[in-house]
Amino acid sequence: MVNHGFDQRGTVNIEIVHKAFSGSKGTLLALKDILLTINPGEFVCVVGCSGCGKTTLLRILAGLETEYEGAVFLDGKKLLGTGLDRGVVFQEHRLLSWLTVHDNVGFGLAGLPPEQRSRDIRRYISLVGLDQFEYEYPHQLSGGMSQRLAIARALAGSPEVLLLDEPFASLDALTRMRMQQEILRIWEARRTTVVLVTHDIEEAVYLADRVVIMSPQPGTIRSILPVPLPRPRDRTSREFVRLRKSVHDELFAPGGMAHLAPGNL
Amino acid sequence: MSTAEQNRSVMWNSSTPELTARPPDNIGRIYIPDRLLGWIVPVTVLLVWELLARLGMLPPNWLPAPTVVGKTIYQLAIAGDLLKHAGTTIARVAVGFLLGAGAGTLLGGLTGYLRIARKLFDPLLQALRSVPSIAWVPLFLLWLGIQETSKIALISVGAFFPVYLNLSVAMRHVDPKLLEVGKLYRLSSFQMVRRIILPAALPEYIVGLRSGLGLAWMFVVAAELLGASSGIGYLMVDGEMTGRAAVILASVILFAIFGKATDWMMNAVGRKLLGHRAR
Repeated sequence: MVNHGFDQRGTVNIEIVHKAFSGSKGTLLALKDILLTINPGEFVCVVGCSGCGKTTLLRILAGLETEYEGAVFLDGKKLLGTGLDRGVVFQEHRLLSWLTVHDNVGFGLAGLPPEQRSRDIRRYISLVGLDQFEYEYPHQLSGGMSQRLAIARALAGSPEVLLLDEPFASLDALTRMRMQQEILRIWEARRTTVVLVTHDIEEAVYLADRVVIMSPQPGTIRSILPVPLPRPRDRTSREFVRLRKSVHDELFAPGGMAHLAPGNL
Repeated sequence: MSTAEQNRSVMWNSSTPELTARPPDNIGRIYIPDRLLGWIVPVTVLLVWELLARLGMLPPNWLPAPTVVGKTIYQLAIAGDLLKHAGTTIARVAVGFLLGAGAGTLLGGLTGYLRIARKLFDPLLQALRSVPSIAWVPLFLLWLGIQETSKIALISVGAFFPVYLNLSVAMRHVDPKLLEVGKLYRLSSFQMVRRIILPAALPEYIVGLRSGLGLAWMFVVAAELLGASSGIGYLMVDGEMTGRAAVILASVILFAIFGKATDWMMNAVGRKLLGHRAR
C-alpha cells in the first residue's frame, strides 16, 4: 500500500493517468494525467466547460467509474468502487419519490438502533434547515429544498469527503446564491473535505480554498489557483473580482479554450 | 381518471381567475355542479325508456322497462339465486385473477430484473399474447374439461398479460440515475430490487393489476357463456334460452356493478400503497 503521508482523515490523492470512453465512433480521451492532492477539510472547486471531463473526474472519485488507468487514494487507501466514506450530490436531486424527507436522509443509514438512527436523521435534517418538512414527500419540496435534502442524505453516512457535481446548476440565481452560503455553513459545521464541480466561475471563487481549472480534449488540469480571501467573501470586492478574472483568463487562455473566448467567436 | 377528476383538472388548467369566478350575468341562471352534469343524459334515457315501455311502444320481451329489470334483480336476490350465481362468478374471478396475476408478477419480476430471463421467456410470451384469448377456449375445454378448471384457466390467461407486461417493462425502465444512488450506498442485488426497483415500478404494476382485473371480468363472461351451470353468465344464457330479456339485462347490470366495485377496491388499495407520492 502506498503511503501518501496523510495525518488527518479526508485526504484525497488523485493519480489518474488515463481515462477513455469507447463508443461507436472510436475512443474519446476523457481525462489525461490528473495529479492532485486534496487536503483534509479542504474545499476544492473544479471548473471547466462542458466536455472537459470534470464530471468524469467526480464520478471516478465517487467510485461510479472504475475503468481507468491510475488510482485514487482516500487516506492512503486505494478506492475500488463506491463507499459510504464518500457522500455524493448530483445536479439532479435523485431523491426517492416514495420516501419521506426523513426516510430519504436515512436511506444509507443501516445497522443503527432505530432510536439513534432517528436522532441522526433529525440532526441532518436540521443541519440543512428542513425540520418542518420531515414527513413531507420530495414532490412537495422546491428545487432548493430538494437539493438541501440531497446534501443531507449525502452527509448522513458521515462521509470523509463530500462530492458535489454541479449541485446548484439547475436552481435559479437567487436560490443558487443562498445555497452557496448554505453549503459553506454546512462545511464549516462539519469540516469534511469537499470537492465541488461547477462551470460557474463566480461560484468557484466564492466557495473554494483552491480552484482547479480544467481544459478539454483531453481533460487535463490547466492550473490550480488558491483563493486566499477570508469568508464570508464579498462578491463585489476588488480582490474577488480580480480572482474571478484570473480564473476566467486562465480558462480562456491560448492553448486552452482560447478558440471559444468571447472575442474570438 | 374519473370524470370528476377530469373536470377538476380542467378547472386547474384555467389559470385566469375570471373563469373560475362566476361572471355576473350568470346570476339567476340555474347552476348545475359539474359532477351532476354527467347524470343528465343517462337519467333522461332511463326515463324515456321507462315511459315508452309503459306506453306499450317497446316490445316487453325485447326491451323490458328499467323498473322491470330492477324488479328482476330484486326477485333474484330474495330467491337466493343472486347470491348463488354472483358468488360463483366472483369466486371464479378471484381465483383466476389471483393465479394469473401471481404468475404475471413472478414472470414479470423475473424478466424485468434478469436479462437472461427476458431473453428466454419474453419472445414466447409476446407471441402467446398475440393469440386472441378466446381462441384458447377449445383447447382448454379439451384439456381441462367443461368444469371449473378450464374457466379458471381462461380467466388467469386474461389477468396474466397486463400484469406481466407492466411489471416487466416498469422494472426495466427504472431510472438508471436512481440505480446509481443504490450503487453509492453499496446495496446488494436483493436490496436494490427491494429498496429501489420495486418501489419505482409500483405505480405501473398497480396499473397492470387493474387492467388484469378488468380482463378477468371480461373472460369470466366468455367462460360462463360457453358452458356453465351457475354464475351470472349462466343467468344470461338462461335468460336467452327462455326468452327473458329482463334477466339478460339484469345480468349485464350485475356484471357492471361487480366489475366497477372490484376496480374501485383495487384502485383504493393502489392509492394506499402509493401513499402521497407524486404521480
